[in-house]
Amino acid sequence: MKNVQNVSPCLMAIAVSAGLATPAAAEGSLSLYNWGDYISPDVIDKFGKEFNVAVTLDTYSTNEEMLARIQAGATGYDLIWPSVHMHDTMQKLGLLQETGVNKMPGFENIDPGALRSKEDPAADYCLPYAWGAVGILYNKTAIPELTSWQQFFDYGAANPGKIAMLDDLRETLGVGLIMTGASVNSANPDEIAKAEEFILAQKPNIGAFAYDVIPLVTSGDMAAAHYYVGAVLNVNQNPDLLGFVVPQEGATMYQEDICLLASAPNRDNALKFLEFMMRPDVSAMNTERLTNGSVNLKAIELLPVELKNNPSINPPPETRAKLQIFEDLGKALRVYTRAWDRVKTN
Amino acid sequence: MFERIMSSKGWWRLFQAYGLVFLIFLYLPLALIFVYSFNANPINMAVWTEFTFDWYKTIFFGAGTAGSFDAAFTESPDRIFEVVRNSAIVALSASTISTVIGTATAIAIRRYDFVGKKVYQALLVLPMIVPDIVLGIALLIFFVGAGFELSLLTVIIGHTTFLSSYVFVVVSARLAGMDMSLERASADLGAGPLTTFRRVTLPQIMPGVVGGFLLAFIISLDDVVITYFIAGVGSQTLPLFILAMMRRGLRPQINALAILLLSFTFTVAAIGLYLRSRKS
Amino acid sequence: MAETGATASRNRRTLILLLAPLTILLGVFFLIPLGIMVVYSFLEPGLYGGVEWNWYPYNYGRLIGWPLNDYEVFDPIYLKIFLNSLQIALMTVAGTLLLSYPAAFWVASMKGPRKSLVLFLVALPFFANMLVRIYAWLLLLRPTGFLSTLLESTGLIIEPLDLLFTNFSVIVGMVYVLTPFMFLPIYANVEKLDYSLVRASRDLGATNVQTLWRIILPLTAPGIIGGSVIVFIPALGNFIVPSLLGGSKVQMTGNLIERSFLQSRDWPFGAALALLIMAFVVVLFSLQFSRQSKSEGQGTR
Repeated sequence: MKNVQNVSPCLMAIAVSAGLATPAAAEGSLSLYNWGDYISPDVIDKFGKEFNVAVTLDTYSTNEEMLARIQAGATGYDLIWPSVHMHDTMQKLGLLQETGVNKMPGFENIDPGALRSKEDPAADYCLPYAWGAVGILYNKTAIPELTSWQQFFDYGAANPGKIAMLDDLRETLGVGLIMTGASVNSANPDEIAKAEEFILAQKPNIGAFAYDVIPLVTSGDMAAAHYYVGAVLNVNQNPDLLGFVVPQEGATMYQEDICLLASAPNRDNALKFLEFMMRPDVSAMNTERLTNGSVNLKAIELLPVELKNNPSINPPPETRAKLQIFEDLGKALRVYTRAWDRVKTN
Repeated sequence: MFERIMSSKGWWRLFQAYGLVFLIFLYLPLALIFVYSFNANPINMAVWTEFTFDWYKTIFFGAGTAGSFDAAFTESPDRIFEVVRNSAIVALSASTISTVIGTATAIAIRRYDFVGKKVYQALLVLPMIVPDIVLGIALLIFFVGAGFELSLLTVIIGHTTFLSSYVFVVVSARLAGMDMSLERASADLGAGPLTTFRRVTLPQIMPGVVGGFLLAFIISLDDVVITYFIAGVGSQTLPLFILAMMRRGLRPQINALAILLLSFTFTVAAIGLYLRSRKS
Repeated sequence: MAETGATASRNRRTLILLLAPLTILLGVFFLIPLGIMVVYSFLEPGLYGGVEWNWYPYNYGRLIGWPLNDYEVFDPIYLKIFLNSLQIALMTVAGTLLLSYPAAFWVASMKGPRKSLVLFLVALPFFANMLVRIYAWLLLLRPTGFLSTLLESTGLIIEPLDLLFTNFSVIVGMVYVLTPFMFLPIYANVEKLDYSLVRASRDLGATNVQTLWRIILPLTAPGIIGGSVIVFIPALGNFIVPSLLGGSKVQMTGNLIERSFLQSRDWPFGAALALLIMAFVVVLFSLQFSRQSKSEGQGTR
């Protein structure tokens, strides 16, 4: 480094970038690849300080995007947060490695009902993280009380452009399947065609297919939007203005598991992180920020009352019975893809 | 002389008014971000509540320095610093390398004739013509297939590839106006090729080289599409970061970040444009 | 004789040395990737992304109707999306042209430091980050955004305008982002315009419209065509503007390509679509290129 002045700026920049690829300040590092806004920054801070590990967090917005990037060789990541069906897929593809998380202290806190993976029924690989329903977020000045999908679509028919649905083929076609009485995992082309038809009929009334709807609903640009239960965070900040509901007809639900990539460079820190996430206090702290359903039974006891008793976050059994979870579709996914292309275009 | 063409006074006024409208069209949207970036209203930016520096503060000092609403609306300063640093590394490296490579190529093309020169020149401008999305995907497939790990390095390589073409075009334009006999005279007087380059060629084409560098720098700093496909772990750049923020919703912090970015690129661009106007 | 031979071989060495870096760079990181993309477009999509190494020309069948197999059905939807993209791109060209053409004359009519200043002001937004410029229109066009609020407060409209998430908002955003690409070539042309011809035309009794149509327009045609081509290309392949200002309801081929790679895990189909755009652009550009070199040939020799 003595001849720094002679090194051209570009070489220096490359040297710097190479040096920074593995941050040397902390004892070790850990790269997380998670959904946007799906982990509390405080949790990451706490873990980093306690274990002296430099944690980096990148985000994605769909399972498919994450899978594509992992397959594209973005192999610097350690832990990922796939939905259960994607967890199955990735395990089948050999992209994950065993963690033995089921033998770690704290695993007894995890709800056995949350072990939903077919490939990993005993949690040898992944740790259940959080779950939630996908319902409707609405603006109470436009709609005082919303209870069903039918009401949602009726409002859209009366006020075209004021409702939004997710830009997600399985979620939005899933609503179509629910409304036409089919399973959200149907591989039957006729049923999928009916769902497509249903959504297409609604399309003139749908203002946007988007994820970034919370500010639009908050400001009144949109009256109601198909959205994840995480929006309850905003509802609680603004209870007079916003509402969130799991519609009567039923809804989809999701659950994400934390999985360790086969190519993870920091296995040890990743295992520490899994154990850390099972602590009731940490898990509760995270749930407060996410406002998702918790899979940690001890943590649920630590939650503030308004979260513990919220019917969207902690639905009563009769609502739970109406929630359907996505499964891996294999080749049938192509039927959905084509249906979705048509929905978006026609 | 133009006044005579626009003979009637009414038309002439209309014409001037149109010019102003054109400038307003160019600047009003940007001015709007500027004004909004000082609006304290966290929910609806279009409704003015009061003047605040809070959104700028959150960029440098994080949530907790602004009102109670900010936690869900802000990104951590560490994260912002990281993506700004990534952008700086990529833009500096890619524009420096492409300036060297593009200039060398431009000189060679100007100085020598060879078989297939026309075809070769067409190849050189091809990366500028190919739509970004095609280039981004082709690079993604290639990097994955060749076993490259997506990182800052792949982003730098991707940028350098198409930026070299831009530099080539800019420097070529400058070289076109250069008197090549000076180079020959220098060689006849016994100067070596390197001396000739340093003493004769370089000073003449310097404005083109600097211009090419600045253009490459700004294009690299702004690129979204190609970077979107070839960025990997920890190599998110500022524009990708802003894109992710926008996709998650319009948060007031984006306004402040956008204005800071604009101020920077405008300063660089202003310097570049000033240098160019001074030389010509 | 030996002297010149030595010079020639030294020249050759220098030439190779100077050309090698960019040639290698473009060869490895441009031509080879494009080649691989061509190959991929003829392979079977892997179930979870990537490709299976089987000959599979049916990706094109889905797109253009031939060839087909049991699994790939021709769906005119993809051509429809492509036509919609073409339409949006052409409207964008028209919009930028209408805005820039008079503006170029306006700037050209000025003199001295004022002209430099205005030229500087027009060029500056070109350097603003594209995303930031799109973002600005998001703020302007939202139902509770600037435009709607302004018009409502003046009483011109009662209901908030639904401008966002339409073809219109996408075109406006693209026009805004791409205007500098149109302005600069046209301005370069207008600046060099030979006004003696314009004066002659008027002296011979031509009306303003006739002068514009017969003299000014043909003389500035190279700038118009050049600008149109460089606006059209990025407009055609764009996916950022439609996904942000179109609310994912406006589909362009760019969105479809992005989705093929990052959502529906159908890389070969995405590659086939990308090649369709690429083919279109290359044909367009070579037409323009041959036109240009022909007219240059006539002009100088």
